[in-house]
Amino acid sequence: MRHSAIFSFLLVLLLLPTWATAADLRGLIRKVEQQYMGLSSKAVMTMSVRAEHWERSLTMESWSLGRDHFLVRILAPAKEAGVATLKAERNVWNYLPKVDRVIKVPPSMMGGAWMGSHITNDDLVKANHIDEDYTFELIEEAPDLYRIACLPKPEAAVVWGKVVYEIVRPQEVPGRVTYFDEKMAPVREIVFDEVTRIDGRTLPLRMTVQPLDKPGEKTIIHYDSIDFDININTAFFSLRNLKS
Amino acid sequence: MTLSLAWRNLWRNRRRTLITLTAMSFSLMLVQGFHNLSYGVYAQMIDSGVRAGSGHIALYRGDYATSRDDRLTFAPGQLPGQIAALPGVTNVLQRLYLPALAQSSRESRGILLTGIDPAAEAMVNPLLAKLDLSTLLPTTDGRDALMGSRLLRELKLEIGQKFVVTAQGADGELASELLFVRGTVHSGIRSVDNSLVMVGRQRAALLAGRPETVHEIAVLLSAPDDSGDQLQRVRALLPAGEIQALPWDTAMPNLANAIKLDYASQKFIFLVIVIIVSIGVINTLLMAVMERLPEFGLLLALGASPWRLRAMVLCEALLLGLVAMFIGSLLGSLLTWYLAAIGIDLRRFLPESIEFGGVIFDPVLRATWDVRYMLQMAALMPLLAGLASFYPANRAARVAPAVAMRNN
Amino acid sequence: MLLSLAFRNLWRNGRRTLLTLSAMVVSLALLILALSIFSGMLRDILASATEQYHGHLVISRDDYQETHDLYTTMTEAHLPLAKIAASNPVQGLSPRLRGYGLVSHADSSYPAELLGIRPDAESGVTSLQRQLIAGTALAADDDHGAVLGASLARRLGVKPGDELVFVTQAADGSIGNDLLTVRGIFKTGDSGHDNGLLLVPLGWLQQTLALPGQVHEVALAITDPMTASASANQLRPLLPDGIHIVDWGTLLPEMREAIASFDVSRLIFSVILYFATGLGVLNTLFMSVMERTREFGILMAIGMRPRSIRLLVLLESALLGLLGASLGVMGGIALCAVMSDTGIDLSAWITPISYAGGTLPPRLRAVLELRNLLDPTLMLLFTTLLAGFFPARRAARLQPVAAIRMD
Repeated sequence: MRHSAIFSFLLVLLLLPTWATAADLRGLIRKVEQQYMGLSSKAVMTMSVRAEHWERSLTMESWSLGRDHFLVRILAPAKEAGVATLKAERNVWNYLPKVDRVIKVPPSMMGGAWMGSHITNDDLVKANHIDEDYTFELIEEAPDLYRIACLPKPEAAVVWGKVVYEIVRPQEVPGRVTYFDEKMAPVREIVFDEVTRIDGRTLPLRMTVQPLDKPGEKTIIHYDSIDFDININTAFFSLRNLKS
Repeated sequence: MTLSLAWRNLWRNRRRTLITLTAMSFSLMLVQGFHNLSYGVYAQMIDSGVRAGSGHIALYRGDYATSRDDRLTFAPGQLPGQIAALPGVTNVLQRLYLPALAQSSRESRGILLTGIDPAAEAMVNPLLAKLDLSTLLPTTDGRDALMGSRLLRELKLEIGQKFVVTAQGADGELASELLFVRGTVHSGIRSVDNSLVMVGRQRAALLAGRPETVHEIAVLLSAPDDSGDQLQRVRALLPAGEIQALPWDTAMPNLANAIKLDYASQKFIFLVIVIIVSIGVINTLLMAVMERLPEFGLLLALGASPWRLRAMVLCEALLLGLVAMFIGSLLGSLLTWYLAAIGIDLRRFLPESIEFGGVIFDPVLRATWDVRYMLQMAALMPLLAGLASFYPANRAARVAPAVAMRNN
Repeated sequence: MLLSLAFRNLWRNGRRTLLTLSAMVVSLALLILALSIFSGMLRDILASATEQYHGHLVISRDDYQETHDLYTTMTEAHLPLAKIAASNPVQGLSPRLRGYGLVSHADSSYPAELLGIRPDAESGVTSLQRQLIAGTALAADDDHGAVLGASLARRLGVKPGDELVFVTQAADGSIGNDLLTVRGIFKTGDSGHDNGLLLVPLGWLQQTLALPGQVHEVALAITDPMTASASANQLRPLLPDGIHIVDWGTLLPEMREAIASFDVSRLIFSVILYFATGLGVLNTLFMSVMERTREFGILMAIGMRPRSIRLLVLLESALLGLLGASLGVMGGIALCAVMSDTGIDLSAWITPISYAGGTLPPRLRAVLELRNLLDPTLMLLFTTLLAGFFPARRAARLQPVAAIRMD
């Protein structure tokens, strides 16, 4: 679900049509997902990470195509400019300009942090299959928000016990997403704000990922610019392009 | 006649004979007893090792035994059934080993996902001895899993909770499966406890994208295949191609070598003991001869042949050896009986379990009867005594009668 | 006076004395050898774990040894390393930095542990660089070489001269990455090291991890590893606050237990050996005293007091014992000298063996320790006196006439 949050954030979160009934939720989410299919984007963003022992900011540019293709390259700081990550289907590669080499990320490292943030390689890979893995329930409807509980299906390969989406009305953008473990203890939270209208869509420009067991740490991603429906195809997401 | 004379001669100096007998018998007892103890301990280690590891005979594809390349899977086909039908085969265990990533909501760790046949393994695998597999892992394709004790802690999970396993499938793509922790395995070997996840074989194969295949078929026999016949029979069943059958000491060289090294040091020590005892025997016989030189001198003067004297000394030595053999073997058997029934309990010294050669060491050491070795060592007594008598016998035979009689 | 009589008595029956003596000497020498073989095995077991990778003592901060947390570092310049190196038991000292990350070559990538070392310092503490099966060890001036385990090298498909990429998260959060050139490949038999360990230059790793001047631990080698915890106590006062020193027993509890169990079996075998030797010596001596009963009877008949007889016999035994002991000890030392170093090399039949966290080389060798000389010698002397005591007493209590009539 959080992957969907990232991608919905990175791509676009379209206006969610008014909910008809709870039973329509699943249909709605799927429709929203399908609206991302075939959608492409290019963005420039800043990621700030605060960890226990350090703090830093990266400026990155990214391209995406649907759910399965994604390329991001670091623009600043100079020391890491040119470092890039490519996701194609369910594999992840990294390019390291300092040594001019490409590395494939093996399964055992998928749990590791991506670019030092609180987002993992695994997050990047397991994108956007929420409608397949969860069932949805509207738990609260208020004038200014919807709260939707997403419960993993019995056989879904997800570690969460529950994910709760808070969607802000009337813009119908995500406000907060909370991830719970199996015992329903909250483990992490993603907060969206700075909702702006851009390139014909309304979306939150800033996303903050907060691990709840490490209160001093967080990752903030802020969109500096974003374009949708650019002219791009799967061939773009190749190892060659990873390097340049 | 010489025999009864020899016997009486032995007991002329009772104390000396008794002391020598004691030394010889006790040494024989100790050698037999402690060899049997080691034998028992080795047998125990091998038994545990084959049951948790590769079996007495292991089947792999290509060089899987050394490379552990997880792409080397094969379809067992009819083999398990055919092998199980061979005489002397007690169990045929099929297994899959997949390096993977396990994730909980808080942590992730690299693991070795082991796919097993729960029903078959429950009976034999020592790691699973304390668990009721029929409730914990009822099927080969379920989502139930057993997790190593340290891994459970590191992932911050409890029994009953879920976790996700991700692995690289045959097509190179990553695949994930949901599993539930139903029980925990504690082997005492750190590298196992922090990386082991056991599931039903079919579930593992699904994750690997290689359904109906295995990495290993472990064959357990009712008795170790010392002659190699069983191995030949299994080999005869194999189709032409990449599947190989290996004996346990090739599949688990670490264990085999640990035993060999220990045994080598034991042989050395026993050699030292034999030398020391032999020296004692030679001395005894020599002194016995020396003090009877006048007597021998007299006998020679009376017309006895030197060979007669030699024979008598030899007889005395042989008798000594035989008596020592009987007493020593009796004592050795008693010691072995005690060590087999009760054993030596090291638990007072060792609170934790220890790994040796990759297998957990049972802290209670028990002997196993190695009758062949006992007989060999027993036979050594009269043999050594006989050999030891050569020099003394010679001295007895070559005595110049006049000189001897004049001697003290 | 009695002493010189005792001495002359010994040589009166030279043959008997020589026989007895030779029995004692050979038994003692072999016993010393056997005990030294045990010591050799014990040494090998201990060395296998500590001298291969961990060192005998390790200095680190806080709970680094439990967590291996990247940030729990010490500033090398702030540590009194010169003073420690100069301290008595310390024979080698090696500062190290440890990083975990991904090692990659062509299409293969694997997670690995990198240990940043100074090759010269490290070879004074551990032996990893001497267990190479290909290539060469890291040289002191090599600034981007690596030595890695055989199984890892095989999986990556590299040989000496090939290049590796290392990626990790550096201490400042950035993506640390750099190239390494494979210089050598080691094989220890320990699958953990062979599958996942690389030795790299300390300076290179400090730079890649963004931890300049920092180390995670300092590994020490000392003269007698069995006294490690005493040495730790001795060195502890030299360390600043928050910096701890632990011995191998604390680091490797499994190894400590393995040694305890080995000691038990050593004890069992030693008892067997002492028993066999003791009985043998007792036998020989006893006999040689017993058969002189007649002689004692004569001595008493000509006026020697029973007490003197007893003393005489005891003195003879003592002299014999001392002579036997000294020759036996010399023989034992000679045998051990022959069997030290490689001793009996079993590597044709046996490959290195993993045992409680270490690996054993396949050989039997002798390590001479004071204990191996002192204990059996004392036992021998004790047995000798014992062997003299009873017959002596018996001889003294005899009626002279009865004794003379005995044979």
